[in-house]
Amino acid sequence: MATNTTETTGVKTSGWQEFWSKEDWWAVWLGLGIVALAYIFYLAGSSISWIAVAPGKWSTLSQLGAQLSKNGIKYLALLAAFLVLFTIVISFIGQKPKAFIKSFIFIFILSTIIYIVGAWDQANRYNLEPPLVALLLGLIISNVIGLPRWLDAGFRVEFYIKLGIVLLGATLPFTLIIWAGPVAILQASIVSLVTFFVIFLTARKLGLDHRLAAVLGAGGAVCGVSASIAVAGAVRAKKEHPPIAISLVVLWAIVLIFVLPLVCRALGLPTGVAGAWIGTSEFADAAGLAAAQSYGNLAGHHLGIAGTADQALASYTLIKVIGRDIWIGIWSFVLALIAVTVWERNETDSKVQVGQIWWRFPKFVIGFLIASVVTTLIVHGNSLADYNKLVKPSLILPITALRTWAFTFSFLSIGLTTRFRDLASTGFKPFVAFTFGVVVNVALGYVLSVVVFGHYWSSIVTH
Amino acid sequence: MKIFNSIGLGNSGPSCQQCTYFQNDPSLIEAAYPGLTVMSSGFASVRDRDGLCSYNEIYLSARDSCPHFTPHGAETNLEEAASQ
Repeated sequence: MATNTTETTGVKTSGWQEFWSKEDWWAVWLGLGIVALAYIFYLAGSSISWIAVAPGKWSTLSQLGAQLSKNGIKYLALLAAFLVLFTIVISFIGQKPKAFIKSFIFIFILSTIIYIVGAWDQANRYNLEPPLVALLLGLIISNVIGLPRWLDAGFRVEFYIKLGIVLLGATLPFTLIIWAGPVAILQASIVSLVTFFVIFLTARKLGLDHRLAAVLGAGGAVCGVSASIAVAGAVRAKKEHPPIAISLVVLWAIVLIFVLPLVCRALGLPTGVAGAWIGTSEFADAAGLAAAQSYGNLAGHHLGIAGTADQALASYTLIKVIGRDIWIGIWSFVLALIAVTVWERNETDSKVQVGQIWWRFPKFVIGFLIASVVTTLIVHGNSLADYNKLVKPSLILPITALRTWAFTFSFLSIGLTTRFRDLASTGFKPFVAFTFGVVVNVALGYVLSVVVFGHYWSSIVTH
Repeated sequence: MKIFNSIGLGNSGPSCQQCTYFQNDPSLIEAAYPGLTVMSSGFASVRDRDGLCSYNEIYLSARDSCPHFTPHGAETNLEEAASQ
Protein backbone atom coordinates (compact mmCIF):
# COMPACT_ATOMS: atom_id res chain seq x y z
CA MET A 1 0.00 0.00 0.00
CA ALA A 2 1.49 3.30 -1.04
CA THR A 3 1.58 6.10 1.45
CA ASN A 4 1.32 9.82 1.12
CA THR A 5 3.75 10.39 3.96
CA THR A 6 6.12 12.99 2.63
CA GLU A 7 8.77 15.39 3.72
CA THR A 8 9.77 18.31 1.65
CA THR A 9 13.40 18.17 0.84
CA GLY A 10 15.92 19.62 -1.55
CA VAL A 11 16.20 19.76 -5.29
CA LYS A 12 19.68 20.14 -6.62
CA THR A 13 18.66 21.32 -10.08
CA SER A 14 19.92 24.81 -10.85
CA GLY A 15 17.33 27.55 -10.45
CA TRP A 16 18.94 29.37 -13.38
CA GLN A 17 17.57 26.71 -15.69
CA GLU A 18 14.16 28.35 -15.27
CA PHE A 19 15.28 31.25 -17.41
CA TRP A 20 15.53 29.17 -20.56
CA SER A 21 13.28 26.19 -19.82
CA LYS A 22 9.98 27.97 -19.10
CA GLU A 23 7.69 29.63 -21.61
CA ASP A 24 7.01 32.46 -19.17
CA TRP A 25 10.60 33.66 -19.23
CA TRP A 26 10.82 33.31 -22.98
CA ALA A 27 7.73 35.49 -23.32
CA VAL A 28 9.56 38.06 -21.19
CA TRP A 29 12.79 37.88 -23.22
CA LEU A 30 11.05 38.08 -26.58
CA GLY A 31 8.48 40.67 -25.54
CA LEU A 32 11.01 43.01 -23.98
CA GLY A 33 13.41 42.37 -26.86
CA ILE A 34 10.75 43.48 -29.33
CA VAL A 35 10.02 46.59 -27.25
CA ALA A 36 13.75 47.40 -27.06
CA LEU A 37 14.16 46.92 -30.81
CA ALA A 38 11.14 49.10 -31.51
CA TYR A 39 12.59 51.82 -29.29
CA ILE A 40 16.02 51.65 -30.96
CA PHE A 41 14.42 52.09 -34.38
CA TYR A 42 12.27 54.91 -33.00
CA LEU A 43 15.33 56.71 -31.61
CA ALA A 44 17.03 56.36 -35.00
CA GLY A 45 14.08 58.13 -36.59
CA SER A 46 12.72 54.92 -38.08
CA SER A 47 10.22 52.27 -37.02
CA ILE A 48 9.72 48.51 -37.00
CA SER A 49 6.42 49.11 -38.80
CA TRP A 50 8.01 47.77 -42.01
CA ILE A 51 7.92 44.29 -40.54
CA ALA A 52 5.02 44.66 -38.07
CA VAL A 53 2.61 44.48 -40.95
CA ALA A 54 -1.14 44.25 -40.47
CA PRO A 55 -3.98 44.29 -42.99
CA GLY A 56 -5.62 47.68 -43.40
CA LYS A 57 -9.37 48.16 -43.76
CA TRP A 58 -10.66 46.99 -47.13
CA SER A 59 -14.08 46.89 -48.74
CA THR A 60 -13.51 45.30 -52.16
CA LEU A 61 -11.42 42.35 -53.32
CA SER A 62 -9.44 44.60 -55.63
CA GLN A 63 -8.44 46.76 -52.65
CA LEU A 64 -7.42 43.66 -50.75
CA GLY A 65 -5.45 42.37 -53.74
CA ALA A 66 -3.60 45.68 -54.02
CA GLN A 67 -2.75 45.57 -50.32
CA LEU A 68 -1.44 42.04 -50.49
CA SER A 69 0.66 42.62 -53.59
CA LYS A 70 2.16 45.71 -51.99
CA ASN A 71 2.85 44.09 -48.59
CA GLY A 72 3.37 40.44 -49.59
CA ILE A 73 7.10 40.61 -48.97
CA LYS A 74 6.48 42.14 -45.54
CA TYR A 75 4.25 39.24 -44.57
CA LEU A 76 6.98 36.82 -45.61
CA ALA A 77 9.55 38.77 -43.61
CA LEU A 78 7.26 38.71 -40.57
CA LEU A 79 6.75 34.96 -40.92
CA ALA A 80 10.52 34.47 -41.18
CA ALA A 81 11.13 36.62 -38.08
CA PHE A 82 8.53 34.77 -36.01
CA LEU A 83 9.87 31.43 -37.23
CA VAL A 84 13.44 32.24 -36.23
CA LEU A 85 12.51 33.60 -32.81
CA PHE A 86 9.95 30.94 -31.93
CA THR A 87 12.12 28.08 -33.18
CA ILE A 88 14.88 29.24 -30.85
CA VAL A 89 12.39 29.17 -27.97
CA ILE A 90 11.06 25.75 -28.92
CA SER A 91 14.58 24.33 -29.16
CA PHE A 92 15.56 25.66 -25.75
CA ILE A 93 12.50 24.31 -23.96
CA GLY A 94 13.17 20.89 -25.49
CA GLN A 95 10.58 20.55 -28.24
CA LYS A 96 11.17 19.40 -31.82
CA PRO A 97 11.95 22.38 -34.08
CA LYS A 98 11.21 20.52 -37.33
CA ALA A 99 7.60 19.76 -36.40
CA PHE A 100 7.17 23.24 -34.94
CA ILE A 101 8.28 25.00 -38.13
CA LYS A 102 5.75 23.17 -40.32
CA SER A 103 3.01 23.69 -37.76
CA PHE A 104 3.76 27.37 -37.28
CA ILE A 105 3.63 28.05 -41.03
CA PHE A 106 0.17 26.47 -40.99
CA ILE A 107 -0.89 28.72 -38.07
CA PHE A 108 0.57 31.84 -39.67
CA ILE A 109 -1.30 31.27 -42.93
CA LEU A 110 -4.61 30.72 -41.12
CA SER A 111 -3.99 33.72 -38.84
CA THR A 112 -3.29 35.92 -41.84
CA ILE A 113 -6.61 34.91 -43.38
CA ILE A 114 -8.41 35.58 -40.08
CA TYR A 115 -6.68 38.96 -39.69
CA ILE A 116 -7.67 39.88 -43.25
CA VAL A 117 -11.29 38.83 -42.70
CA GLY A 118 -11.38 40.96 -39.55
CA ALA A 119 -10.16 43.97 -41.54
CA TRP A 120 -13.09 43.72 -43.97
CA ASP A 121 -15.30 46.78 -43.44
CA GLN A 122 -18.40 44.54 -43.23
CA ALA A 123 -16.87 42.12 -40.69
CA ASN A 124 -18.78 43.61 -37.75
CA ARG A 125 -22.04 43.36 -39.62
CA TYR A 126 -21.59 39.60 -39.92
CA ASN A 127 -20.06 39.17 -36.42
CA LEU A 128 -16.75 38.13 -37.96
CA GLU A 129 -14.70 39.14 -34.93
CA PRO A 130 -11.19 37.74 -35.47
CA PRO A 131 -10.82 36.13 -32.01
CA LEU A 132 -14.12 34.29 -32.36
CA VAL A 133 -13.46 33.37 -35.99
CA ALA A 134 -10.04 32.00 -34.99
CA LEU A 135 -11.52 29.97 -32.20
CA LEU A 136 -14.41 28.60 -34.25
CA LEU A 137 -12.21 27.78 -37.20
CA GLY A 138 -9.78 25.97 -34.91
CA LEU A 139 -12.57 24.02 -33.23
CA ILE A 140 -14.03 22.93 -36.56
CA ILE A 141 -10.66 21.89 -37.96
CA SER A 142 -9.66 19.89 -34.87
CA ASN A 143 -13.03 18.28 -34.14
CA VAL A 144 -14.61 17.80 -37.55
CA ILE A 145 -11.78 17.61 -40.06
CA GLY A 146 -9.00 16.38 -37.77
CA LEU A 147 -5.28 17.06 -37.89
CA PRO A 148 -2.19 14.87 -37.51
CA ARG A 149 -0.85 14.93 -33.93
CA TRP A 150 2.60 16.14 -34.90
CA LEU A 151 1.06 19.48 -35.88
CA ASP A 152 0.36 20.11 -32.17
CA ALA A 153 3.99 21.19 -31.87
CA GLY A 154 3.09 24.69 -33.00
CA PHE A 155 -0.14 25.12 -31.06
CA ARG A 156 1.47 26.77 -28.04
CA VAL A 157 -1.57 28.67 -26.68
CA GLU A 158 0.11 29.79 -23.47
CA PHE A 159 3.36 30.94 -24.99
CA TYR A 160 1.62 33.08 -27.61
CA ILE A 161 -0.78 34.62 -25.09
CA LYS A 162 2.01 35.41 -22.64
CA LEU A 163 4.06 37.04 -25.36
CA GLY A 164 0.98 39.04 -26.37
CA ILE A 165 0.39 40.14 -22.76
CA VAL A 166 3.98 41.35 -22.39
CA LEU A 167 3.53 43.36 -25.60
CA LEU A 168 0.18 44.58 -24.26
CA GLY A 169 2.07 45.96 -21.27
CA ALA A 170 4.03 48.15 -23.67
CA THR A 171 0.80 49.79 -24.80
CA LEU A 172 -0.64 50.37 -21.30
CA PRO A 173 0.47 53.35 -19.22
CA PHE A 174 2.02 52.29 -15.92
CA THR A 175 0.05 55.07 -14.27
CA LEU A 176 -3.12 53.17 -15.21
CA ILE A 177 -1.81 50.02 -13.52
CA ILE A 178 -1.01 52.02 -10.37
CA TRP A 179 -4.37 53.81 -10.47
CA ALA A 180 -6.61 50.85 -11.26
CA GLY A 181 -4.53 48.03 -9.80
CA PRO A 182 -5.88 48.24 -6.23
CA VAL A 183 -9.51 48.22 -7.41
CA ALA A 184 -8.73 45.31 -9.73
CA ILE A 185 -7.15 43.38 -6.86
CA LEU A 186 -10.07 44.15 -4.53
CA GLN A 187 -12.73 43.14 -7.06
CA ALA A 188 -10.87 40.03 -8.20
CA SER A 189 -10.10 38.94 -4.63
CA ILE A 190 -13.76 39.13 -3.59
CA VAL A 191 -14.85 37.05 -6.56
CA SER A 192 -11.95 34.61 -6.30
CA LEU A 193 -12.57 33.88 -2.63
CA VAL A 194 -16.33 33.51 -3.03
CA THR A 195 -15.99 31.31 -6.13
CA PHE A 196 -13.36 29.11 -4.50
CA PHE A 197 -15.43 28.49 -1.40
CA VAL A 198 -18.62 27.88 -3.40
CA ILE A 199 -16.91 25.21 -5.52
CA PHE A 200 -14.89 23.76 -2.65
CA LEU A 201 -17.77 23.53 -0.19
CA THR A 202 -20.20 22.21 -2.81
CA ALA A 203 -17.68 19.57 -3.82
CA ARG A 204 -17.13 18.57 -0.21
CA LYS A 205 -20.89 18.47 0.41
CA LEU A 206 -21.16 16.11 -2.54
CA GLY A 207 -18.54 13.89 -0.93
CA LEU A 208 -15.56 14.68 -3.16
CA ASP A 209 -11.99 14.44 -1.89
CA HIS A 210 -10.46 17.58 -0.29
CA ARG A 211 -7.73 17.74 -2.89
CA LEU A 212 -10.05 17.37 -5.86
CA ALA A 213 -12.30 20.05 -4.34
CA ALA A 214 -9.28 22.37 -4.02
CA VAL A 215 -8.11 21.69 -7.57
CA LEU A 216 -11.59 22.42 -8.92
CA GLY A 217 -11.99 25.51 -6.74
CA ALA A 218 -8.67 27.00 -7.84
CA GLY A 219 -9.54 26.38 -11.49
CA GLY A 220 -12.75 28.34 -11.15
CA ALA A 221 -11.43 31.05 -8.87
CA VAL A 222 -7.92 31.95 -9.95
CA CYS A 223 -6.61 31.27 -13.43
CA GLY A 224 -8.26 28.20 -14.87
CA VAL A 225 -6.19 25.23 -15.96
CA SER A 226 -2.96 26.85 -14.77
CA ALA A 227 -4.34 27.30 -11.27
CA SER A 228 -5.70 23.77 -11.17
CA ILE A 229 -2.40 22.22 -12.18
CA ALA A 230 -0.44 24.45 -9.78
CA VAL A 231 -2.67 23.63 -6.83
CA ALA A 232 -2.71 19.94 -7.81
CA GLY A 233 1.07 19.88 -7.40
CA ALA A 234 0.93 21.85 -4.17
CA VAL A 235 -1.64 19.64 -2.44
CA ARG A 236 -0.37 16.38 -3.98
CA ALA A 237 -3.56 15.61 -5.82
CA LYS A 238 -4.34 12.14 -7.03
CA LYS A 239 -3.17 11.47 -10.56
CA GLU A 240 -6.74 11.52 -11.90
CA HIS A 241 -7.72 14.87 -10.32
CA PRO A 242 -6.14 17.39 -12.75
CA PRO A 243 -7.81 16.01 -15.91
CA ILE A 244 -11.24 16.46 -14.30
CA ALA A 245 -10.52 20.12 -13.59
CA ILE A 246 -8.95 20.61 -17.02
CA SER A 247 -12.06 19.30 -18.77
CA LEU A 248 -14.43 21.47 -16.75
CA VAL A 249 -12.36 24.63 -17.12
CA VAL A 250 -11.93 24.15 -20.87
CA LEU A 251 -15.61 23.41 -21.38
CA TRP A 252 -16.88 26.43 -19.43
CA ALA A 253 -14.15 28.76 -20.68
CA ILE A 254 -15.14 28.06 -24.27
CA VAL A 255 -18.83 28.52 -23.50
CA LEU A 256 -18.08 31.86 -21.80
CA ILE A 257 -15.90 33.10 -24.68
CA PHE A 258 -19.06 33.21 -26.78
CA VAL A 259 -21.68 33.94 -24.11
CA LEU A 260 -20.07 36.83 -22.21
CA PRO A 261 -19.53 39.13 -25.26
CA LEU A 262 -23.08 38.31 -26.42
CA VAL A 263 -24.60 39.27 -23.06
CA CYS A 264 -22.41 42.38 -22.82
CA ARG A 265 -23.63 43.37 -26.27
CA ALA A 266 -27.26 42.74 -25.36
CA LEU A 267 -26.83 44.92 -22.27
CA GLY A 268 -24.91 47.57 -24.23
CA LEU A 269 -22.09 47.65 -21.67
CA PRO A 270 -19.22 50.08 -22.21
CA THR A 271 -16.06 48.26 -23.27
CA GLY A 272 -14.16 49.02 -20.05
CA VAL A 273 -16.98 47.57 -17.94
CA ALA A 274 -17.33 44.51 -20.18
CA GLY A 275 -13.57 43.90 -20.01
CA ALA A 276 -13.72 44.01 -16.20
CA TRP A 277 -16.61 41.55 -16.12
CA ILE A 278 -14.88 39.18 -18.52
CA GLY A 279 -11.66 39.48 -16.51
CA THR A 280 -13.56 38.61 -13.35
CA SER A 281 -15.58 35.73 -14.73
CA GLU A 282 -13.50 34.03 -17.44
CA PHE A 283 -11.06 31.38 -16.30
CA ALA A 284 -8.06 31.25 -18.60
CA ASP A 285 -6.05 34.23 -19.84
CA ALA A 286 -6.30 33.28 -23.50
CA ALA A 287 -10.02 32.56 -23.35
CA GLY A 288 -10.76 35.84 -21.61
CA LEU A 289 -8.61 37.85 -23.99
CA ALA A 290 -10.49 36.34 -26.92
CA ALA A 291 -13.78 37.45 -25.38
CA ALA A 292 -12.52 40.89 -24.33
CA GLN A 293 -10.87 41.63 -27.66
CA SER A 294 -13.87 40.54 -29.69
CA TYR A 295 -16.17 42.76 -27.61
CA GLY A 296 -13.72 45.67 -27.66
CA ASN A 297 -13.65 45.52 -31.45
CA LEU A 298 -17.38 46.36 -31.48
CA ALA A 299 -16.77 49.77 -29.92
CA GLY A 300 -17.34 52.84 -32.01
CA HIS A 301 -19.35 51.04 -34.64
CA HIS A 302 -23.01 51.26 -35.44
CA LEU A 303 -23.93 49.24 -32.34
CA GLY A 304 -23.67 52.21 -30.00
CA ILE A 305 -21.20 50.55 -27.64
CA ALA A 306 -19.31 53.16 -25.65
CA GLY A 307 -15.56 53.09 -25.06
CA THR A 308 -12.60 51.83 -27.01
CA ALA A 309 -11.11 48.44 -27.85
CA ASP A 310 -8.11 49.29 -25.67
CA GLN A 311 -10.34 49.91 -22.65
CA ALA A 312 -11.76 46.38 -22.89
CA LEU A 313 -8.26 44.89 -23.04
CA ALA A 314 -6.94 47.16 -20.28
CA SER A 315 -9.68 46.49 -17.73
CA TYR A 316 -9.65 42.79 -18.60
CA THR A 317 -5.88 42.54 -18.14
CA LEU A 318 -5.87 44.51 -14.90
CA ILE A 319 -8.49 42.28 -13.32
CA LYS A 320 -7.24 38.99 -14.73
CA VAL A 321 -3.47 39.39 -14.59
CA ILE A 322 -3.01 41.81 -11.69
CA GLY A 323 -6.13 40.86 -9.76
CA ARG A 324 -6.06 37.08 -10.14
CA ASP A 325 -3.06 35.47 -11.88
CA ILE A 326 -0.28 36.84 -9.70
CA TRP A 327 -1.77 35.34 -6.55
CA ILE A 328 -1.49 31.72 -7.68
CA GLY A 329 1.67 31.20 -5.61
CA ILE A 330 -0.11 32.39 -2.47
CA TRP A 331 -3.12 30.16 -3.19
CA SER A 332 -0.81 27.18 -3.72
CA PHE A 333 1.14 27.86 -0.55
CA VAL A 334 -1.95 28.29 1.63
CA LEU A 335 -3.68 25.22 0.23
CA ALA A 336 -0.50 23.15 0.58
CA LEU A 337 -0.30 24.26 4.19
CA ILE A 338 -3.92 23.31 4.82
CA ALA A 339 -3.31 19.99 3.08
CA VAL A 340 -0.48 18.97 5.40
CA THR A 341 -1.89 20.44 8.61
CA VAL A 342 -5.57 19.55 8.25
CA TRP A 343 -6.39 17.15 5.41
CA GLU A 344 -3.39 14.83 5.82
CA ARG A 345 -2.41 15.55 9.41
CA ASN A 346 -2.39 11.89 10.35
CA GLU A 347 -0.56 10.77 7.26
CA THR A 348 2.28 13.20 6.89
CA ASP A 349 4.97 15.16 8.66
CA SER A 350 5.93 17.05 5.54
CA LYS A 351 6.89 20.71 5.34
CA VAL A 352 5.53 23.24 2.92
CA GLN A 353 8.11 25.45 1.29
CA VAL A 354 7.32 29.12 1.33
CA GLY A 355 9.46 29.45 -1.80
CA GLN A 356 6.64 28.14 -3.97
CA ILE A 357 5.03 31.58 -3.80
CA TRP A 358 7.84 32.64 -6.14
CA TRP A 359 8.41 29.34 -7.94
CA ARG A 360 4.80 29.28 -9.13
CA PHE A 361 4.58 33.00 -9.83
CA PRO A 362 3.58 33.57 -13.50
CA LYS A 363 6.83 35.25 -14.55
CA PHE A 364 5.44 36.75 -17.74
CA VAL A 365 3.74 39.34 -15.50
CA ILE A 366 7.21 40.73 -14.78
CA GLY A 367 7.66 41.36 -18.50
CA PHE A 368 4.21 42.94 -18.69
CA LEU A 369 5.05 45.38 -15.90
CA ILE A 370 8.55 46.21 -17.19
CA ALA A 371 7.19 46.82 -20.70
CA SER A 372 4.59 49.18 -19.25
CA VAL A 373 7.17 51.10 -17.18
CA VAL A 374 9.57 51.39 -20.12
CA THR A 375 7.05 52.74 -22.63
CA THR A 376 5.53 55.05 -20.02
CA LEU A 377 8.98 56.56 -19.47
CA ILE A 378 9.54 56.82 -23.22
CA VAL A 379 6.21 58.51 -23.80
CA HIS A 380 6.56 60.77 -20.74
CA GLY A 381 7.47 64.30 -21.78
CA ASN A 382 5.78 64.15 -25.18
CA SER A 383 2.83 66.42 -25.77
CA LEU A 384 -0.41 64.75 -26.90
CA ALA A 385 0.18 66.14 -30.39
CA ASP A 386 3.69 64.67 -30.51
CA TYR A 387 2.41 61.39 -29.15
CA ASN A 388 -0.26 61.10 -31.83
CA LYS A 389 2.02 62.28 -34.62
CA LEU A 390 5.30 60.55 -33.76
CA VAL A 391 5.27 58.10 -30.89
CA LYS A 392 2.04 56.29 -31.66
CA PRO A 393 2.61 55.47 -35.35
CA SER A 394 6.33 54.75 -35.00
CA LEU A 395 6.43 52.91 -31.70
CA ILE A 396 3.05 51.97 -30.24
CA LEU A 397 1.11 50.85 -33.34
CA PRO A 398 3.78 48.40 -34.59
CA ILE A 399 3.93 46.81 -31.13
CA THR A 400 0.12 46.66 -31.13
CA ALA A 401 0.19 44.89 -34.51
CA LEU A 402 2.66 42.28 -33.25
CA ARG A 403 0.55 41.84 -30.12
CA THR A 404 -2.52 41.17 -32.27
CA TRP A 405 -0.59 38.55 -34.25
CA ALA A 406 0.46 36.81 -31.02
CA PHE A 407 -3.11 36.86 -29.71
CA THR A 408 -4.46 35.49 -33.00
CA PHE A 409 -1.96 32.60 -32.92
CA SER A 410 -3.18 31.86 -29.41
CA PHE A 411 -6.93 32.04 -30.15
CA LEU A 412 -6.49 29.82 -33.16
CA SER A 413 -4.40 27.39 -31.12
CA ILE A 414 -7.14 27.14 -28.47
CA GLY A 415 -9.50 25.85 -31.13
CA LEU A 416 -6.91 23.59 -32.72
CA THR A 417 -5.94 21.95 -29.41
CA THR A 418 -9.49 21.53 -28.10
CA ARG A 419 -10.43 17.99 -29.02
CA PHE A 420 -13.59 17.32 -27.09
CA ARG A 421 -13.28 13.55 -27.45
CA ASP A 422 -9.86 13.67 -25.73
CA LEU A 423 -11.07 15.48 -22.63
CA ALA A 424 -11.46 13.32 -19.55
CA SER A 425 -14.90 12.45 -18.32
CA THR A 426 -15.61 14.66 -15.31
CA GLY A 427 -18.31 12.76 -13.50
CA PHE A 428 -21.57 14.27 -12.30
CA LYS A 429 -20.51 15.60 -8.90
CA PRO A 430 -17.46 17.60 -10.05
CA PHE A 431 -19.57 18.99 -12.87
CA VAL A 432 -22.28 20.15 -10.45
CA ALA A 433 -19.78 21.72 -8.02
CA PHE A 434 -17.86 23.55 -10.73
CA THR A 435 -20.97 24.69 -12.57
CA PHE A 436 -22.45 26.12 -9.38
CA GLY A 437 -19.23 28.09 -8.97
CA VAL A 438 -19.46 29.35 -12.55
CA VAL A 439 -23.00 30.64 -11.97
CA VAL A 440 -22.03 32.46 -8.76
CA ASN A 441 -18.83 33.79 -10.35
CA VAL A 442 -20.62 35.23 -13.38
CA ALA A 443 -23.41 36.79 -11.30
CA LEU A 444 -21.07 38.29 -8.71
CA GLY A 445 -18.70 39.42 -11.47
CA TYR A 446 -21.58 41.29 -13.10
CA VAL A 447 -22.62 42.99 -9.85
CA LEU A 448 -19.09 44.15 -9.04
CA SER A 449 -18.09 45.14 -12.59
CA VAL A 450 -21.30 46.86 -13.59
CA VAL A 451 -23.13 47.95 -10.44
CA VAL A 452 -20.40 48.56 -7.86
CA PHE A 453 -17.37 49.61 -9.93
CA GLY A 454 -19.06 50.31 -13.28
CA HIS A 455 -18.33 54.04 -13.22
CA TYR A 456 -14.71 53.25 -12.52
CA TRP A 457 -14.16 50.77 -15.34
CA SER A 458 -16.07 52.81 -17.90
CA SER A 459 -13.74 55.77 -17.43
CA ILE A 460 -10.29 54.21 -17.46
CA VAL A 461 -7.80 56.08 -19.60
CA THR A 462 -5.53 53.93 -21.77
CA HIS A 463 -3.31 56.54 -23.41
CA MET B 1 2.05 25.86 16.67
CA LYS B 2 1.85 22.99 14.20
CA ILE B 3 1.11 25.34 11.34
CA PHE B 4 4.47 27.10 11.75
CA ASN B 5 6.28 23.81 12.14
CA SER B 6 4.84 22.82 8.79
CA ILE B 7 6.49 25.67 6.93
CA GLY B 8 9.98 25.14 5.59
CA LEU B 9 12.55 27.48 4.13
CA GLY B 10 15.67 25.47 3.50
CA ASN B 11 15.90 21.84 2.54
CA SER B 12 18.28 18.92 2.29
CA GLY B 13 18.26 15.25 1.46
CA PRO B 14 16.78 13.27 -1.39
CA SER B 15 13.76 14.56 -3.25
CA CYS B 16 11.29 13.27 -5.82
CA GLN B 17 13.32 15.01 -8.53
CA GLN B 18 15.97 12.30 -8.10
CA CYS B 19 13.50 9.43 -7.64
CA THR B 20 13.05 6.74 -10.23
CA TYR B 21 9.26 6.79 -9.77
CA PHE B 22 9.00 10.48 -10.53
CA GLN B 23 8.46 11.95 -14.01
CA ASN B 24 8.14 15.67 -14.64
CA ASP B 25 9.24 16.14 -18.23
CA PRO B 26 6.83 18.85 -19.53
CA SER B 27 6.19 16.95 -22.76
CA LEU B 28 5.29 13.81 -20.82
CA ILE B 29 2.96 15.76 -18.54
CA GLU B 30 1.26 17.31 -21.58
CA ALA B 31 0.84 13.84 -23.06
CA ALA B 32 -0.45 12.43 -19.77
CA TYR B 33 -3.01 15.21 -19.38
CA PRO B 34 -4.80 15.83 -22.71
CA GLY B 35 -6.35 19.28 -22.63
CA LEU B 36 -3.56 20.80 -20.53
CA THR B 37 -2.22 22.64 -23.56
CA VAL B 38 -5.62 24.10 -24.49
CA MET B 39 -5.41 26.80 -21.84
CA SER B 40 -2.15 26.17 -20.04
CA SER B 41 1.14 24.44 -20.67
CA GLY B 42 3.56 21.87 -19.37
CA PHE B 43 6.25 24.55 -19.68
CA ALA B 44 4.46 27.18 -17.56
CA SER B 45 6.07 28.69 -14.46
CA VAL B 46 3.01 27.91 -12.35
CA ARG B 47 3.75 24.22 -12.79
CA ASP B 48 7.19 24.69 -11.26
CA ARG B 49 8.82 21.24 -11.42
CA ASP B 50 5.77 19.21 -10.49
CA GLY B 51 5.33 15.76 -11.88
CA LEU B 52 3.75 12.36 -11.58
CA CYS B 53 4.74 9.72 -9.04
CA SER B 54 4.09 6.24 -10.43
CA TYR B 55 4.50 4.68 -6.98
CA ASN B 56 1.99 6.76 -5.01
CA GLU B 57 -0.11 7.59 -8.11
CA ILE B 58 -0.15 11.28 -7.27
CA TYR B 59 0.82 14.56 -8.93
CA LEU B 60 3.24 16.44 -6.72
CA SER B 61 6.20 18.75 -6.43
CA ALA B 62 9.68 17.63 -7.42
CA ARG B 63 10.78 19.06 -4.08
CA ASP B 64 8.76 16.50 -2.10
CA SER B 65 10.03 13.14 -0.93
CA CYS B 66 8.66 10.00 0.70
CA PRO B 67 9.86 6.83 2.43
CA HIS B 68 9.76 4.98 -0.88
CA PHE B 69 12.37 7.22 -2.42
CA THR B 70 14.44 5.20 -4.88
CA PRO B 71 17.27 6.98 -6.66
CA HIS B 72 17.51 6.71 -10.43
CA GLY B 73 19.24 3.48 -11.37
CA ALA B 74 18.78 1.86 -7.96
CA GLU B 75 15.85 -0.19 -9.17
CA THR B 76 17.93 -1.65 -12.00
CA ASN B 77 20.74 -2.50 -9.60
CA LEU B 78 18.32 -4.25 -7.28
CA GLU B 79 16.86 -6.25 -10.16
CA GLU B 80 20.34 -7.22 -11.35
CA ALA B 81 21.33 -8.30 -7.84
CA ALA B 82 18.16 -10.38 -7.50
CA SER B 83 18.75 -12.13 -10.80
CA GLN B 84 22.32 -13.15 -9.91
